[in-house]
Amino acid sequence: MLVDSYSKRIFNMAYQFAGSYQEAEDLTQDIFLKLYNSLSKYDFKRNFSAWLLTIARNYLIDQYRRTKWEKQTRDNFNDHYLTSETFENPEEGAVKEENKRTVWQGINNLTSEIRMAIILRDIQGKQYEEIAEIMSLPLGTVKSRINRGRLQLAKILKEKKERRNEM
Amino acid sequence: MKCKTIEELLSPYLEDELNPEEKGTVAKHLKTCENCSLLFSLMKETQESLADIPELEVSENLLDRLYSIPRKKKRFKLRFPNFDFLVRPSLQPILTVATIMLIMISFYFYGPNKSSIDKSISRKIGLGYSKVGRLYAKAESFTASLGEHKDNILVSLKNIKLPGGNED
Repeated sequence: MLVDSYSKRIFNMAYQFAGSYQEAEDLTQDIFLKLYNSLSKYDFKRNFSAWLLTIARNYLIDQYRRTKWEKQTRDNFNDHYLTSETFENPEEGAVKEENKRTVWQGINNLTSEIRMAIILRDIQGKQYEEIAEIMSLPLGTVKSRINRGRLQLAKILKEKKERRNEM
Repeated sequence: MKCKTIEELLSPYLEDELNPEEKGTVAKHLKTCENCSLLFSLMKETQESLADIPELEVSENLLDRLYSIPRKKKRFKLRFPNFDFLVRPSLQPILTVATIMLIMISFYFYGPNKSSIDKSISRKIGLGYSKVGRLYAKAESFTASLGEHKDNILVSLKNIKLPGGNED
């Protein structure tokens, strides 16, 4: 069944994109509703997962443009993500955790298209070709957006580290 | 090469997608440019941090909500394509009139007053026949009386002097 197979993927995509747990649950429900209503339009020649993620991506970006989530704050990283890793060097572990929190909050500074590309590539580990299909964009555009997103996040991380060193 | 150009090549460099020449240029630049080198190492840290974000499980509450989403009902469609023309808008007035006629006919055949309707119809038809018969009889008597006075009428017509006529 669709819910069993895809709910986790869609929910995580919505949460990574929106940054709010409650919002992500509502968005997932809306996406499934949209999905059920669009099933008759599915072209059997297409990859089903990519088609489904395209529906999710379109819905999330449309909602983003309508409601402007960038003005909202994201949930704290540790609200729902638990640290399970154990580090030999506690200091190194603390830096990594801090980096994760900074990058997680930094996602809010990315535009919707760059944010989606970064989520698909760097969080979900998808291939560039698949991302291009999901986002209906040329491969070159996808690569350039991902590079811009990474640079933006790296600069946010840099600022954060500089501020921490000043303290 | 300018730092801006190198920045554009950092991701492909990180993912080892550059040709040997470009790769060499970027590596050389990173050795000499502190800013770009720092940016590159931060980009690596960023990528590692993003890759470390785990997948969350879906809550029971959300699963219940997802399972209860009703499937959209299929739109009504006639199964036999040959009868599709029946739903065309242009045929609607004709179908309406036909429906009204059928309702009236069904009232006549299946209504409780069929015999009284029959009687009133036959009475009306009988009255019509007798009216026509009377008119026919009147017309016959008028023709007969006209035949009797035919000669007198002809004489009277001959004696009429029309004004402006030739007097011989």
